[in-house]
Amino acid sequence: MVRCRLAAVIAMLLLTASFAAAQNSTVSGRVANAQGGVIANAEATLRALPPPGTPPMPNMPNMPNMPAAMERTATAGADGAFTFANVAAGDYVLYVDASGFERSSQTVTVGNQAQNLTITLTPLIVPGAEEGAAAAAGVADTQLLLDRIKQLEARITDLESEAVLSEPETRVKRIEVYVDQNNNIHDQPVEGAKQQVTYQRERVYRRQTINEKIEEALAAAEDQAVKIGVDATTVAQGAGRTTGVGPNKKAYALASADLFFAAKLAQYTSFFADVVALSGAAPDREIPSLTLLNGYTARLINQNELNLREAWLRTEFFGQRLGITAGRLDLTNYFDRNAFANDETTQFISDALVNNQMLGLAVNGTGVVADYDPKNAFNFKVGFQQSNPDATSLSDSIYSLAEVGYTATPFSLPEGHYRLWYRNNNGSVDSKHAVGVSLDQKLSPFVGVFGRYGQQQIPGDWDRYWSTGLSFAKAMVFNPLDTWGIGYAQMDLAAGDKEHLTEGYYNFQLTERLRLSFMLQHVLDRQNDKFGYLLPGLRLQAAF
Amino acid sequence: MRNLKRILILLIVGLTVGAASFTRATLSAAVVKVPDPTKVVMIVDRDSNDIAFMDIASKKIVGRTFLGNNVNPHMVMMSPDGRYVVTGGTRANKAYIIDAKTLELVKVIPVDIAPEHLAFSPDSRWYYQGNPEGDSISVIDMLSLTKIKSIPGLVEPLNTVFLPDGSKAYVGNYGAHWVGVIDVRRHELLKKIQVADVPGVAKLDPDKYLGEIKGINIPQITNDGRYLYATDTDLGVVAKIDPREDKVDKIIRVGKEPWRPYMSHDGKYLITPNNGDQTISIVDLRTDKVAATLEAGENMTGVNFAAGKAFVISSTSGFVYVYDMNSLRPAGRMKIGTNIQLETATTDTKDEKLYLADSTENAVVVIDAKTQQFEKIMNVGLYPWGTHIMDSKDNYCH
Repeated sequence: MVRCRLAAVIAMLLLTASFAAAQNSTVSGRVANAQGGVIANAEATLRALPPPGTPPMPNMPNMPNMPAAMERTATAGADGAFTFANVAAGDYVLYVDASGFERSSQTVTVGNQAQNLTITLTPLIVPGAEEGAAAAAGVADTQLLLDRIKQLEARITDLESEAVLSEPETRVKRIEVYVDQNNNIHDQPVEGAKQQVTYQRERVYRRQTINEKIEEALAAAEDQAVKIGVDATTVAQGAGRTTGVGPNKKAYALASADLFFAAKLAQYTSFFADVVALSGAAPDREIPSLTLLNGYTARLINQNELNLREAWLRTEFFGQRLGITAGRLDLTNYFDRNAFANDETTQFISDALVNNQMLGLAVNGTGVVADYDPKNAFNFKVGFQQSNPDATSLSDSIYSLAEVGYTATPFSLPEGHYRLWYRNNNGSVDSKHAVGVSLDQKLSPFVGVFGRYGQQQIPGDWDRYWSTGLSFAKAMVFNPLDTWGIGYAQMDLAAGDKEHLTEGYYNFQLTERLRLSFMLQHVLDRQNDKFGYLLPGLRLQAAF
Repeated sequence: MRNLKRILILLIVGLTVGAASFTRATLSAAVVKVPDPTKVVMIVDRDSNDIAFMDIASKKIVGRTFLGNNVNPHMVMMSPDGRYVVTGGTRANKAYIIDAKTLELVKVIPVDIAPEHLAFSPDSRWYYQGNPEGDSISVIDMLSLTKIKSIPGLVEPLNTVFLPDGSKAYVGNYGAHWVGVIDVRRHELLKKIQVADVPGVAKLDPDKYLGEIKGINIPQITNDGRYLYATDTDLGVVAKIDPREDKVDKIIRVGKEPWRPYMSHDGKYLITPNNGDQTISIVDLRTDKVAATLEAGENMTGVNFAAGKAFVISSTSGFVYVYDMNSLRPAGRMKIGTNIQLETATTDTKDEKLYLADSTENAVVVIDAKTQQFEKIMNVGLYPWGTHIMDSKDNYCH
């Protein structure tokens, strides 16, 4: 009876074992180097691969995390052998690590049959590492040297085929150190030592081509050099009278050349100068409009004469939030900087659509501008300038401006800029005070609207001015970088004079440095006499 | 009966010994330095030739993997399954594979010339290493840890993006005006998609268009994987690409010289930093129109999103410009330092903090997105070039 029971138990165990063998298998292997030498103590890892159809992007955003994959590890013995028993059928990754060798990784498909694999490991060579890693792993010196020679040969082949200029890079670095009474330098705070800033060369190695080196050298030279720029423009205009009396069917041309100089003097401090010369005849000499029909005329003092328009220093404080500009300048350049109607070189040619006529001031002089821009929605500006070059003291000729600017995105529209300014002039002029607003608001990515309003106080009354218009860019154009616009401006003086001015322009950007514009203006004035003119024009501008 | 007892005892002893030996094998794994790969910031140090691992909570460097002299790693990335960390050694022309837990360098694989940016297929199987100077992509099988193929025919491939289903990959060619479509099943160039026409003014200004091409940096994919958006720096456009038909759906004009698109985390907007005119263009992805163009800084190298704001890195000015993504208005400017060079940043998965590489100070700047305050973690390695956090939505390089 006892023997029967024993036979039954053994039979049951054998059945169970055979059933398990039908489902699982064994994965074993032997780890060796390229020459067949045994590598002991290698670590083998067997990781189950997810079954086909498993969603990708495990652990990626917006995707459910996959369960951790099944992993088993085994350590090879002194003979380099390892075994995984009872491995279920399926796909696996088997990887083997040994100190000083690259990881061996391969896919293994496990079925009913046991698998015995030969794993060959390659030495991991890390140039500059403190210790020969393979040596640490106990590989024979000869073999180590052979492997090393093989790696070096491969490296030489790489270098021969792919070498680029690669010199050590030196760089001066600002460092903070602690200097004691004996002038000994410490990296860390030491009792009695003072913290000081010094400079030290640092040598690094980086892949650099000769082009990169040349570019860096040119950039460094440019940073130190005085930069020169030129803006040369020729404006040709015709004038045909549409109503009233006065000159008719006339042609005009004005050439202007600006020479700019800019240099960096110190940290956040720069110098700028603008020398200008003009020659030619503008329609403003013959047509007595209230505003200039050619914005360049404002710069014309004497024909063919060089004039220093601007020469100033600018420096920045408080994390570059506050900028101070001082010297000879045109204060109106810094205020009411409308994005769509502020530049006679590329936008409207009529001064009435370039500047708010109530800002006043036509001459440049000594002055100061402070602009505070915290780079949020608001910015602030204040400045003053000598308004009369003949005045004997500044106190008799101070022209001052203040402005608050705000960037908004109202009603889900793109960005718009809104400004409110105030002007005061204590010189001998009729108008002491003026106030105005200015806006440029994009209606869509391609269309923007602008508007200005200003009024100045004169004895007993106010002069008024307003303008508006549209600007187009990036759409409804011949070339992607072209721009065009239409605008209207009206002057309404307390004395009874009135002017209506309309202009349209199209600006072709021929190259980055060359532009050609076509303009058509119409001006209608009601002064003592009523007159009107239609002025077609052409503007060629080179800026570089 | 006595024999039966003996047999059972022998069986139990045998099983116990077997189990004990299996347990010993399991516990003999190498030292784990990073138990949870989502809890570290990876920092790629170009001049000290290593990858540093910084614990997010303690802000301490917990490990560092040296890659070898003169390697100059460029971009670091963790595989989506969290098993490997990889980088391309630009000067060594090799790809480096690091075990993400032990931080041991486990494999060095020769690739093509000057490997820089890289991408993983969503299932972590394929590691595409772009080689801009070799005009190719090296395909590395992450199961066998071997390079199985090189995809030629590209022109300065700068960045690669996989579709969520892993079927295709899209390559930005900075030396051309087309996006390359890769069939991931065969690892072959399938199609070239031209993003926009070169304008006619090129005839008058050949130097601009023939001297040096600044083409496509990266085709960026939308959150739902439905479209890709690619900027062309020379042409000043963003092209919307439909990956179902591999055609350009729409062309959006942005500012001058857009560097690349960056997607906001909510999928509503993309931002292009325009280095030509120092602005950013914010594109509304519902209408595919520019919603705002705002003033920014010089040499912009990256955009990160956190706490409802966009942080735009101005590399050489030392500033980070901040924008409110609700009002689409400027929200300030952070001065990180003077005479420094900022590189790129990653954002944590909670969208709270940014980790910005500050190369000339050998530091990582940790920015609190809400308060806009920052802290510098010094000595993270020489010339940190970029950072990476697993599952971050702002993992990129420049």
